[in-house]
Amino acid sequence: MFDQARFRFPLVWFLALVWTLTAPMGAQEKIPEAQLPLLTTSAGQSQDVTTLNIICEEAGILYDYCDVPDVELLSAGAGLAGREGESRSGFHIEVHTDLEAYPQGTPYKTVIFAIGASLKGMGASGLTVDDEVDRLRKVVEYCRQQGIFIIAVHVGGVSRRGAPGSDNERMIDAVAPSADYLIVTRDSNKDGRFSQIAQEKNIPLTEVAYALDLVGVMQKVFAGGA
Amino acid sequence: MNKGKRKHIWMIMGMAVILILGWNPTDAAFQNGTAEETTAWTEPEGCTVILVGKDASTDGSVMSTHTCDCGVCDWTFRYVPGAEHKGGADRPIYHVSQYVTWPPAQGLKWEKIKDDYIDLDIPQPPRTYAYIHGMFGYMNENQVAISESTIGTHRKLVNSTPSAQLDLTMLTLLGMERAETARDAIRIMGSLAEEYGYGFHDDGEMLAVSDPSEIWIFEIMPVGPLWTPESGQPGAVWCAQRVPDDHVSVCPNESRIGEIDLNDSGYFMASSNVVEFAVEKGLYDPASGEPFNWKKAYSPRETSAAESGGTWARMWRFFDLVAPSKNFSPDTPNMELPFSVKPDKKLSVQDVMHLTRDKYQGTDFDPAAGLRGGPFKNPNYHPRPVEVEGVTYSTPRTIGVNRAEYTTLTQCRGWLPDPIGGIVWLCFGAQDTSCYMPLYIGITEIPQSFQIGDHWEFNRQSARWAFDYVDFHTLVAYSHAIADVKLAQDRWEARAVEMTPAIDAFALKMYQDSPEKAAVYLTEYCNNNANLVVNAWWKLGDDLLVKYRGLSIYDRETRKRVNLPYPEDWLKEVVRYHRLPPQPPRKK
Repeated sequence: MFDQARFRFPLVWFLALVWTLTAPMGAQEKIPEAQLPLLTTSAGQSQDVTTLNIICEEAGILYDYCDVPDVELLSAGAGLAGREGESRSGFHIEVHTDLEAYPQGTPYKTVIFAIGASLKGMGASGLTVDDEVDRLRKVVEYCRQQGIFIIAVHVGGVSRRGAPGSDNERMIDAVAPSADYLIVTRDSNKDGRFSQIAQEKNIPLTEVAYALDLVGVMQKVFAGGA
Repeated sequence: MNKGKRKHIWMIMGMAVILILGWNPTDAAFQNGTAEETTAWTEPEGCTVILVGKDASTDGSVMSTHTCDCGVCDWTFRYVPGAEHKGGADRPIYHVSQYVTWPPAQGLKWEKIKDDYIDLDIPQPPRTYAYIHGMFGYMNENQVAISESTIGTHRKLVNSTPSAQLDLTMLTLLGMERAETARDAIRIMGSLAEEYGYGFHDDGEMLAVSDPSEIWIFEIMPVGPLWTPESGQPGAVWCAQRVPDDHVSVCPNESRIGEIDLNDSGYFMASSNVVEFAVEKGLYDPASGEPFNWKKAYSPRETSAAESGGTWARMWRFFDLVAPSKNFSPDTPNMELPFSVKPDKKLSVQDVMHLTRDKYQGTDFDPAAGLRGGPFKNPNYHPRPVEVEGVTYSTPRTIGVNRAEYTTLTQCRGWLPDPIGGIVWLCFGAQDTSCYMPLYIGITEIPQSFQIGDHWEFNRQSARWAFDYVDFHTLVAYSHAIADVKLAQDRWEARAVEMTPAIDAFALKMYQDSPEKAAVYLTEYCNNNANLVVNAWWKLGDDLLVKYRGLSIYDRETRKRVNLPYPEDWLKEVVRYHRLPPQPPRKK
C-alpha cells in the first residue's frame, strides 16, 4: 500500500523546489527561436546594454556589439566592417561573432535592443533624445525590411521607466512595437506596458524576475544556432 | 510501499533536482565570469575628494571635501531633522540617480525621488540622526561626515538592474541616519549593500568617511548584473582603509586602496568576499605570488599625470602641493603614488579651500597658459578632452572646475560638542569664483535660497544662481575679473573663517546653558551669513557686468573708460598668425 504519510513531506518539498526553480520561466508564451549572427545594441544608451552583453556571454552566445549603430554599420553585417579599432567614448564596437562560421559581412539575422534611456550615455555619444529616437527608427525600419529578427529587452525596472513621454518611454515606443519578441523583467512591466504592446501587436512576451533569468531564456532562443 | 519502489521514486526526484539545478544559470553566473576585460568600464571625470587627518590640520580638525563636479545635477540642499521611531517602523528605499533632475514646476528632487520607491522597506532603528543633505548625506549630528568620488570598475561588475536595491546616494542617507562614528557608517553602508545589493545607478564608488577622530577611504563595487538576493552571495564587495592621523590624501576618481591587511583592524575593514570574489571573477590570481591589491583587482587605471596630458593629473598635483619636499614626479603612474602623505605643513581650513580651487597654475598642465586660456588667461575653455577631425586630444582636468554644482568641506572638531564641532562649509558653483559659507551641524534649518533652483531656469531666489551670475561675468576678462572676486572672497569667506573661534566660543557658552538656545544662535548666524554672502554675490555680478562691459574697464570712481589691456605675447601671436600689416607711419 502507498505510504502517504511518509511520502507527503518530501513530495511537497520537491514540488515547492521545482516551482521555485522554474517560476521565472513559468506562465510565459512559447519562446521563439532566433538565429545567428547576432548584433546587440542599446536603445537609449543606458548601461542596460552591458547587462545584455554579459547575459549573452553567460549564455555562451557569440555576438557583435555597437552602442550606436546606424543603418550603414548594421548593413555591414558580421564583424561590423572591421571597425572594432574605432572604439572611443560614446562609440563602442566589439566583435565576438565566430567569423569562421559567419564570415565578415554575413548579414545579421538577429538584433537585440537593450531599452533604457540615459542622458549621460546619450551625452557621451553626442546624441540628444530626438537624435537617438530618429536613429532607432531608421535601424528598426531597416531590420523590418531585411527580415532581421528583433528582440527588445527591458531589464532596468520600474524606476528607469519614467512617466509617459519620458526619455525612456520614447525609447520603448521606438523599438518595442516593432519587435518580434519582448523580454522584460517583472518590475519593468509593473504597469502592464509591455503586456499591452505584446497583445496589441501580437508579439510573444517573456517576463522574468531577474536579469539572471534571461541567461536561460537566451539559451533557448538561440538553441538552434544558425 | 516497498523499499525498492521508494528508492526508485527518490532516484527520479533526485535526478530531476540535479537536472534543474544543472540548468539553473545562477551557478554559471558566479562560476564562469569572463576574465579578459581588465579595463574600467566607466570613465569618471567627476568629483575630487581631499582628506585631512586630525594631526595633519592646523587646528586638530578632521576635514574632507567633495567637489560635486557634474554640470547637469541637482544642487539643492536641505536639513533633515532627527526622529524617533516606534518599534516595527520601516524605512522606504528609493532608487536615486545622481544625475536625474526635474523641472522646478514639477517639484523638488527629494520629493520627486519618492516616485522611485522600489517596494522595499527596511527596519528603521529607534532613532535616526539629523543631517545636512545635498547630492549625498554630508554630515550628521554626531559629526559623521561623508564626501564622494566615482572611481569606476570593470564592466562585468556593473549591476544596473533592480536586483541592486541600494545605490550610493541611498547608502549615504542611511549612513547619516544611523551612524555614530565613521566606522559605524562604514559597517552600516557595507552590510546593507551586501544584504540588499549595490549598484543600479552607480558602480565603483569611493566615500571619505570621517568623524572627529578618524578619516577613512571606503570603496564599494557592485558584483555584476546577474546577482540576485536569493543567491546567498553578498550583493556588494567593499573595502576601507584609514588615513593615518598625521596624513592627508586625495581621491580624484581613482581607486586609492592598494594592498590590504585585514588583521590590522585599526586601519582596514572589508566585506567577507573581498579577495574571494576577485579570484572568482578572474581579477586576482593567488598563484601569481603577488599580494592581493584592491585597486589593481577592482578598479585599475593605468596612467599618469604626464602620460594623460594632464587629464589625470589631480592626484600628482595634490601630493605635489601638500608635500613638495617629496618631489613627486608627474611621470609616476598614478597607481604607484602613495595612499596618503604627511604634508610638509599642516593644513588649515583655508588651505583646503584653496586646494579645491587649484588650476595647476605654474605647471606644464596650466590650462590658462599659452593660447589655451585666450588673452585673459581663462582656465575654463577646455575642461574635457577635445576632438578635432576625429582625433581626441588630452586637456588638463584641474581640481577646481566650473561645472561644479557645489563643493562641501566638512570639518569635524572633537574638542567641541557635536552641534558646534561639526561644520559643513558650502560653496555653490565654480570654486574659484564662489565663496565658502559655514553650516554648523547644530543648525535646525538652512536658508530657503539653498533649497531651490536648477540649471535651466534663471532664478534670483536661488542662491546658486548668484554664484553662477558672478562666474559668468568672469569668463570674458578672467585675469582681471578674478582679482575682483578674490577681494570679495577675502571680505566674506576669510572673515567667516576668522570669526569661527569667536562663534564657537559664544555658541559653547550658550550650549552649556541651553543646547536649544545654542541651536537657535547657530541657525541664525549661518542663515544670516549665507544671506549676506548671496546678496553680496548678486551685487558682485552686477559690478563685474558694469566694469568689464564691452571688453573695457569702466572705473566708477573716475567715471572713465579704458580698453582692456591685452598681454603683449598674445598680441604678438595675433600679429604673427594673421600676418597683420603694420600701419604706415603717421604723416606729420
